[in-house]
Amino acid sequence: MNSYPVDPPERLASLTTGRATSFLTEGVRAGQDEIPQVAVVRAATPLDGYAVRWSTAPVREILDEAMDRFADARTDADAWLAPRLHATVRMSRAEAADPGLWNFLALAVAPDYVLWRHVPAGQSEEAAPKKVNAARFVGPHYSQAFARLWWSAEMFRDGPDYGPAVVACGNQDMINTALRLDAVDHKPTALAMARVLQQWTESGTNRLGDRVNALCTAVNTAGSTLMYEVIAPDDAPDHAARAAWIDEAETAASVPWERLPDGPDDGSARRTSCSALTRMFEQFAAEAPLRDRARAGATAD
Amino acid sequence: MSTVYAYPTLVGKVEATVKGAHIDGKPLQLSLISRSERVVALHQVEREDWTEGVLDLEVSVPAGEVDDGPWARVGCFAVLSEGATNTRVVTRLDKQRDDSVWRGEVRVHRSCHLARATLDVCVVGTYGGIDGRVIGTTDAPWVVDLHGRTPTRQRELDIVEVDFRDGPEEWLRRFADAPWLIDTEREQPTILLNTSFEGLSPLLSGAHGPLEKATAGLLAAQIAADAWSTMFHSALADLEFDEDGTPHLPGGWQGAVLRSLLPDVFPELPLAEALAEAHSRRADGRGWGEVQSRIQFAAARRGTLPKNLTAAIRAVSRAQGGARR
Repeated sequence: MNSYPVDPPERLASLTTGRATSFLTEGVRAGQDEIPQVAVVRAATPLDGYAVRWSTAPVREILDEAMDRFADARTDADAWLAPRLHATVRMSRAEAADPGLWNFLALAVAPDYVLWRHVPAGQSEEAAPKKVNAARFVGPHYSQAFARLWWSAEMFRDGPDYGPAVVACGNQDMINTALRLDAVDHKPTALAMARVLQQWTESGTNRLGDRVNALCTAVNTAGSTLMYEVIAPDDAPDHAARAAWIDEAETAASVPWERLPDGPDDGSARRTSCSALTRMFEQFAAEAPLRDRARAGATAD
Repeated sequence: MSTVYAYPTLVGKVEATVKGAHIDGKPLQLSLISRSERVVALHQVEREDWTEGVLDLEVSVPAGEVDDGPWARVGCFAVLSEGATNTRVVTRLDKQRDDSVWRGEVRVHRSCHLARATLDVCVVGTYGGIDGRVIGTTDAPWVVDLHGRTPTRQRELDIVEVDFRDGPEEWLRRFADAPWLIDTEREQPTILLNTSFEGLSPLLSGAHGPLEKATAGLLAAQIAADAWSTMFHSALADLEFDEDGTPHLPGGWQGAVLRSLLPDVFPELPLAEALAEAHSRRADGRGWGEVQSRIQFAAARRGTLPKNLTAAIRAVSRAQGGARR
């Protein structure tokens, strides 16, 4: 499964969502038909410049390794891959906001990964083959197979430390729900949520998924009338340091596999702010009602 | 305000005005700011490569209502956000005593925005013992309009294919067995690839399959590292000096090479001092040998040798059955 049948294009490009969607037939999403790679590449627009960071080989390498390493537990690949993808495809938030790049990765560079990671679990009906949700190929940043990982690493890292991002990506409810919230655009808020999650994980708290969802709801609801930025002030990120880190992609060695890579050293969040919000969120969590799952079947995706 | 608040909020209007703007320190024409449309058109700025815009913001708040109201510690904050880039920047505005207007500078970082950022203002206060409650906002946001991707670097090295053995350039004949040479005597440093070295140029220009590609990558990195090191030495031999003997960064590619490698050669020194140190060590030979290792490291890094070597090792290991150590 982990050797990709055709050579991927050498450089990343941008593929509009409209063009990308036209290739996403039922057969492709079920993994039965090949994506016409030549046509996809022809439909895409090359990215500017010769920058090394737009090479596909390093991305392919970590994806192959992830498929190998997590063959028996696909969802566990997220926490391993997110920081490594972020440190490999180094870019600004403005660049990462281009869905075309993510579309191209999913359709031209690694459709096999999208299928591997997101084909629904469980038994399939004989008549209808299991299909991957199209949003995993061309969806918003919190759904698309690669964008969700890159953005999780971006939103939950603490300066160069990807540790909190690993915690966040280790829980599917966190990565699927929290990433949609505007509240995580504030770094101490994101880090405090990761910290609460970590405490639960370490103490073996039951019904973790329900608790995470309840926490997300509570943080978001309170955030509509409370300004977390005022309660928990933070410093502006060091944009120059981030730009330098992106430039270093020209010469940086491949990301390590056994330890975490270093993210951009653009400033860690203020400790006092993270602690204040952690205490507040613990209180939210203690008061928040948990969803009744007696009837709703929990599905891992 | 459409949200339901569980505490008293302002009735009067909060109004924000962008009074002016600067792009990388230069004032933006006022015609690019429309008060009626509430739009700042940063995309009409003629230069594409700006990094930071600063908006001068003025906000009027119903002062009497704030003073007489039930809130404590009232503050005013600008919120610049763009959903596409998951970016939300909150700036505290200031007010002079006896003044009814809050003022502040809102910074717009190009790298954090894609197309359209919105600028809202929130009045925040303490009520019922809880800090940070939003008690008023502007009815409609300002829009900061921009678009386009950041431009990227250009190539720094020319590459030319030459037949060293039987080609027209006679001086190359004695190097007939060399796979490549770096020529720094030209206007632009050039890598000469020897086409009479069998298999070299097909490998570099048309590698197929993971093993060939990894080998080509390793070779390209080796050549690049070689080139950087040669260019560094060549540039260092080509400095200009002050009357008191202080070396200056030369122009052209020589300056670019030194500027690029010196921070890796002498990471503890600022650029000018690093240049002086490199020059003096070369001139009087003090510790020049030790500097060679530093240059070798810097050039290999710039040539992406460690990265490509790792890739090659992994490709070979995978080809041999993927045995993991």
